[in-house]
Amino acid sequence: MKFVFADSLDFVDPAYDFIADRNGAGRTIHRDDQFPHEFLDTSPYDGILVSRGIVGDALIPGKYTEAQLMRFRREGARRFLRYSREQFPDSMMMGDCGAFTYRNMPEPPYRAQDTVEFYGDGDFSHGCSPDHLIFDFDDQDAERSEKEIPEDIRIRFEITQQNAAEFLREAKSLGRRFVPMGVIQGWSAPSMAQAALNLAKMGYVYLAIGGTVPLRIEQIRRALAAIREVLPKQVRLHLLGFGKIEHLADLERYGVTSFDTTSPLVRAFKDSRKNYWARSKAGELSYYTAIRIPQATENNRLKVKALQGRLDQEEARQLEATALNGVRRLACREIDVEDALDAVMAYWEKLNWNDEASPSKRVQALDRQRRIYAQTLQDRPWEGCDCRVCREGGVEALIFRNSNRNKRRGMHNLHVFYKHLQDFRADAV
Amino acid sequence: MSSPHILHFDVVAPRQSESLPVFTFAARARDVERFARIERAGRDDSGTLRGFQRPQIAGHIREIRDYLEKPGAILPNPIIVAFTHSASLESGPSHDGVEGRFGRLAIDVSNGAPGWIVDGQQRFTALRDLHGSDFEVLVSGFICDCLEELQKQFILINNTRPLPKALVYELLPQVSDLPPRMSNRSQAALMTEALNYREGSALRGMIKQQTNPKGIIRDTVIQRLLMNSISDGVLRLYADDDRLLLDRGVNFVSEFFHAVRHVFSEDWEDKTPKTSRLVHGAGIIAMGYVMETVHVLTGAEDRDAFARGLRHLKGRTAWSSGEWAFGDERRRWNGLQNVPADIRQLSLHLVQELRRAIPRNEEVS
Ligand SMILES: [Zn+2]
Repeated sequence: MKFVFADSLDFVDPAYDFIADRNGAGRTIHRDDQFPHEFLDTSPYDGILVSRGIVGDALIPGKYTEAQLMRFRREGARRFLRYSREQFPDSMMMGDCGAFTYRNMPEPPYRAQDTVEFYGDGDFSHGCSPDHLIFDFDDQDAERSEKEIPEDIRIRFEITQQNAAEFLREAKSLGRRFVPMGVIQGWSAPSMAQAALNLAKMGYVYLAIGGTVPLRIEQIRRALAAIREVLPKQVRLHLLGFGKIEHLADLERYGVTSFDTTSPLVRAFKDSRKNYWARSKAGELSYYTAIRIPQATENNRLKVKALQGRLDQEEARQLEATALNGVRRLACREIDVEDALDAVMAYWEKLNWNDEASPSKRVQALDRQRRIYAQTLQDRPWEGCDCRVCREGGVEALIFRNSNRNKRRGMHNLHVFYKHLQDFRADAV
Repeated sequence: MSSPHILHFDVVAPRQSESLPVFTFAARARDVERFARIERAGRDDSGTLRGFQRPQIAGHIREIRDYLEKPGAILPNPIIVAFTHSASLESGPSHDGVEGRFGRLAIDVSNGAPGWIVDGQQRFTALRDLHGSDFEVLVSGFICDCLEELQKQFILINNTRPLPKALVYELLPQVSDLPPRMSNRSQAALMTEALNYREGSALRGMIKQQTNPKGIIRDTVIQRLLMNSISDGVLRLYADDDRLLLDRGVNFVSEFFHAVRHVFSEDWEDKTPKTSRLVHGAGIIAMGYVMETVHVLTGAEDRDAFARGLRHLKGRTAWSSGEWAFGDERRRWNGLQNVPADIRQLSLHLVQELRRAIPRNEEVS
């Protein structure tokens, strides 16, 4: 089972100076930055997924600048991401349309022909047909037939199928090196199975299941079971945007060949608790909460307070410096956990001061947070990891602060997750 | 006798207003911190406005700090501090018969810093970050009776107009050692200047600058094209060396535009952005990407080779009449604007046309 990482320009500056909090001298964006497969000692994934929606074009502005977008189209994904076939043999370079970015439009802005052009420019090894998201998913034993569902859902289903048929024809121009993937969308397990069967009949040998992001694991299981039941064994399956990575065994059981996710990276800064990942001796994933010490003059919440005159920026900068210093001195074993926590919580209190809350609520919130942070600081998880992030940055990777720390922590998580997956695969064989 | 709570400074006191005494002196940042504070605008519980400063701007402070860390750094413009109380100015003895030019300032800091920073808070904060520095700044101050007068002065002092961007960009090439944000622009400005004034340049005299108002193509547009290439195109090969950019880089771009002028002469000669989109922002920036693509696909570096590549676009453009066909969408020639979506649309279209045409035709020839 292959793990494909969905990229959205996730790189870090290897020369970032944590103490001065700035990029290396003369750093040029992209050129001097490193992607996870460059920064870590070994690549933490088996392939990369790039969405048209992230790259952007005239129809949808993406995350790339205009110059980066034009360069991507000129050089192709592998050169742009510095993820060459030679260096990463057998890796997948997969494209999709990023259906989530145009979910609110009546139909996808992309056609089969221009999608094939995008995959051709990008020199992708795999590419998905242009699909349209369906959000409803029926409960078990309450599945609606095609006649019972609202028209806009039926239209989304038909557009996805129609595009897949056109896409398969157009994709022939890309030659045999390119593997077209038909995307499955449906409102229920049976309708997804029907979609899968239609795609297999068209001639697809690799299918991608879309629209699973909002689904519960139980719903995903039902969909997978129904699809597998109707599909010839040799047809491979990819799960698009699979965030429930604690349930790898389910993918294995239903013969999923590959899946993509950004979860290990984004949870480093989007999850409220599970920011830094570790593995127990028994091979279970466990999680730590990163210590939030935002930049006093750049944090939006603090800026708003300063604008209203409710926060003295000079004082906030002082508390910020003391908190950073506390965590660093703890890492060097110069002070104990309680002293470090005092410094961290003094700033946290300023940052999270809620005028509405009663004094007792405030004390409670403060206590709760202190216990969470105590766990991180007591266990010193950064000392137990040998990845480059932890080796070079140490405790800096546990500080929730700016992109260079947060994405590094995400790369560490990718490293841990990939190890976890490799062990899982070894067990599964 | 001087008490530890009274600070004294020898000052120069120019003869200005009788009612608002003005003075200037030098002090270290940590001294300034003792007698002046930053009071930001905000409202108290009853909603009354107090203070007037805006919050710190982190990026701005960092740029100043980076600069101040350099050995040759100077900071000639003073930090301005106002006092409404706790400060008094005594006239010193007269020198060469002129009364009251020098004096002595006494500031009472027993109840905290009584002065208000009226101008220079970002500079002041950056200075304070340079721990233990003995760097001295100039302080200019005045004493006024009331807060209202102080706020009036604050508005007057801070209501200056920034330099026009165009003039700043023109001055940039003369200056070295700028913050990175400006130095990318500076490289592009340097090349723009060369393209506009160098003999033999395809764009000679054509670029509209503060000092060349008769130009047709806006300098910021040419700079955008150059910055795109320096960051993500062929010019990034020379990005670390201004001399190479000025020599080979400028020549490369000039050769390309010689070819453009030749191949699309009817859309170029005597045209303005209003009469031809080729010399308009959207057209110039899109042609920058065409330059990259022709170079990558055919290896073109001189005007003849560029022209051979560009001929594939002949008859497929609508620079000054007709309409563009972007997939299913049709756009009148003058419907294109200098906005990101239109620039991307046009760029992708032209590059795609080239990609379709060049491999096929090159095989034939
Ligand atoms: Zn690690």
